[in-house]
Amino acid sequence: MTTSADMTPTDSALPPPRSQTGVRGWVRENLFGSPLDSALTLVVGAVLVAAAWFGLGWVFFDADWRVISTIGGRFVIGNYNSDQVCPGNDCFWRPQASLLMVSALLGMAWGVAGAGVVRRIAILIAVVAALFAFLPYDFERMGMDVRLLLLANPVMLVAGWAIARYTRLGTPKWVAILSVVAFFLTLLLLLGLPGVPGLQPVDVRNWGGLTLNLVLAVSGIVLSLPVGVALALGRRSHLPVLKAVCVVFIEVFRGVPLITLLFMSQHLVPLAFPETFPRNSLLNAGIVITLFSSAYMAENVRGGLQALNPGQIEAARALGLPAWQTTLFITLPQAIRNVIPAIVGQFIGLFKDTSLVYIIGMLDIVEVGKTFVVGNTEYQQDAQEMFVFVALVFWVFTYGMSYVSRKVERHLGVGER
Amino acid sequence: MSTINRILTYEDIPVWRHARIIRWALQIISAIFVVALVAWFFTNMGSAIAERDIPFGFGFLSREYQTPIGDHFIPYESSDAFGYALGVGITNTLIVSVLGVILATLIGIVVGVARLSSNWIVNKIALAYVEFFRNVPVLVQLLFWFYIVLALPQVREGYVIADRLYLNNAGVSFPGPNVPGSLLVPLAWIVVTVAGVIAGIAAHRMLTRRETVTGRASYPLTAGCAVAIVVSGIAWMILSAVAGDAPFVMASPEPQGRFGRIAGGITVRAGVLVLLIGLVIYTSAFIGEIVRAGIQSVGRGQIEAGRALGLSPMAALRHVTFPQALRVIVPPLISQFLNLTKNSSLGGAVGYSELTNIGITMTQTAPAISIFMLIMVAYLAMSLAYSLVGNLYNRHISFERS
Repeated sequence: MTTSADMTPTDSALPPPRSQTGVRGWVRENLFGSPLDSALTLVVGAVLVAAAWFGLGWVFFDADWRVISTIGGRFVIGNYNSDQVCPGNDCFWRPQASLLMVSALLGMAWGVAGAGVVRRIAILIAVVAALFAFLPYDFERMGMDVRLLLLANPVMLVAGWAIARYTRLGTPKWVAILSVVAFFLTLLLLLGLPGVPGLQPVDVRNWGGLTLNLVLAVSGIVLSLPVGVALALGRRSHLPVLKAVCVVFIEVFRGVPLITLLFMSQHLVPLAFPETFPRNSLLNAGIVITLFSSAYMAENVRGGLQALNPGQIEAARALGLPAWQTTLFITLPQAIRNVIPAIVGQFIGLFKDTSLVYIIGMLDIVEVGKTFVVGNTEYQQDAQEMFVFVALVFWVFTYGMSYVSRKVERHLGVGER
Repeated sequence: MSTINRILTYEDIPVWRHARIIRWALQIISAIFVVALVAWFFTNMGSAIAERDIPFGFGFLSREYQTPIGDHFIPYESSDAFGYALGVGITNTLIVSVLGVILATLIGIVVGVARLSSNWIVNKIALAYVEFFRNVPVLVQLLFWFYIVLALPQVREGYVIADRLYLNNAGVSFPGPNVPGSLLVPLAWIVVTVAGVIAGIAAHRMLTRRETVTGRASYPLTAGCAVAIVVSGIAWMILSAVAGDAPFVMASPEPQGRFGRIAGGITVRAGVLVLLIGLVIYTSAFIGEIVRAGIQSVGRGQIEAGRALGLSPMAALRHVTFPQALRVIVPPLISQFLNLTKNSSLGGAVGYSELTNIGITMTQTAPAISIFMLIMVAYLAMSLAYSLVGNLYNRHISFERS
């Protein structure tokens, strides 16, 4: 407790009364401001204490968390590493290698962006990944090499940072290009290559767990950007046929639940393409999620286009730019930059929505947990533990993303212009 | 002169650079492109349907469905047709979404106001509620509640609270109005009551206008309520006298028979209960943020001005803050209502037979593509209805303000 009188003896103003400063003042102002406030604090506080008592009691005494450690790596990758799919159980390094690439890219992003929120997030992710190496899994399921790969994440982070700092790759453009490369490398790693030792092909039906959610969400948002931009431009165009088609497409995909679209994809996607087109549920889900997401993306981009100052277009036309150059170099870049927060929000929603792929029999992280609980009589009592854990995993990802987006938004000053 | 004329009339411009011609060419090219794309998909589909013998058509709609439906709010027998069963699905979806929308709005308003509370503890609890529940997929939340209800004791050993409230893994039962006689009597009473309420609103409007014009106290609220209550009361008495039974009687749930099946009162079955809990909690977290943003969007000066004019805090809230906040709140609120309706399609995961779930079950005995086309049309109709209501309301409040 400091009072202003102590520090500035010449100041004739009296210090505020003790009841308004320090802990007592804070409690008085924030918890017991008025009789109603006091009553509210007491009632809500009592309920909170009771809830905490039962909640913590459940977490520490009643809940049986062994179900989580038993299921272990299956949360990350589903049945990918099981005996039938990957003889010898040595496929787990493939998603891990992809995680290492993510760490390196985060390191590069840190090197490019410098100190700030990017650095904090990058370090947090690498450290959490490394900490997973110390979880009490059985050694048979998760060998020493897996633990070492997890521990390598901070090393890759620093390597990425060094590359960004001391080579010419340290520009935002290169980070973006390498991210795309890493995404396709991940797909290649997970798919496998026939004939290459250690990379035996794995049927996409066996992809699962959190990797599946992330692959679907990331490819959905990335692929939906061009489609969504095209739809948004189509909706604003003066060509009536094009405009009508875009409006119908957007409204249909936004007005129908994703789950019906996913279910429909099994029947319609194989019908709409000739028989030579590859058929599997991952591709069906990917196509539908991309189309679904691009309808929302189109509305976001359209919002950005509408918010644009018409003076920009007029200036471009006055400079003699043809319409397509005006769109490509003047309006679109500004419109997309202004709706980045909305796109992040959409990505979070899409990530949550990938949990719906259970309807076409894919084992995403929710379905991995559910089938494990339902299928094993031993763990049938542990459904709550399972879903609390899955909820926490989702929460960490979605809340983390919204936190980063808020920080970056404030950093860039988007929305304040 | 003639040069300028030629430039002004675009005479010298070659055909391929003529703006109007380019525009027309683009129209035609885009139309051809779109038609070709659609045609490509449809020929693929047509040939696939023909070659692979995939069933398609709507003849099944009049066939008997012959499958029981777990929950139905309108009478349903297994011998009813597919078309009628789809109707059952639509009513199931509508009932859950309407109940969900009402409850989520109420809780969302509480959460939004709590987020603005000066009480630290209330504020932080609301923040935690919002940040947790809107960041976890609704499916995970639904499954969590589903397995909690599933873990409750069976009907015979279920919890009984105060001899009135029954809680077990089949659902929850509590006292409520039951229909003693024919279903027509309560329906007639409801129709008359709605007419009475409309008459009451009309009376309220008329008296309010009289009050503003003449300045004489006309008690519009009292008179309006009185009209509605008197009309519905007289209807109740007449219907009771004519039909021999009152339209509704209050009844308490009671276990009956050897298996302790609970009858009487109102029973909310487990599927509906779980779906409602999950959807309401998830959506109310979003609505809470919308309400908070809406209230915060009203400038502080507005409230201060209202207070300076002598309005009480409540009156300032009602006449100054809310009308302005509503303009910000309503459009995103409508889209949340729509989201809730669409999310109710997850009912199948928690054992509630709503439209999508019934449709998926139907695909075992009927053409999947036809069924899902109908289902999508039904959802689109619902979303259009929501947008229509939203647009009407928006127009209403923006007219009042201008």
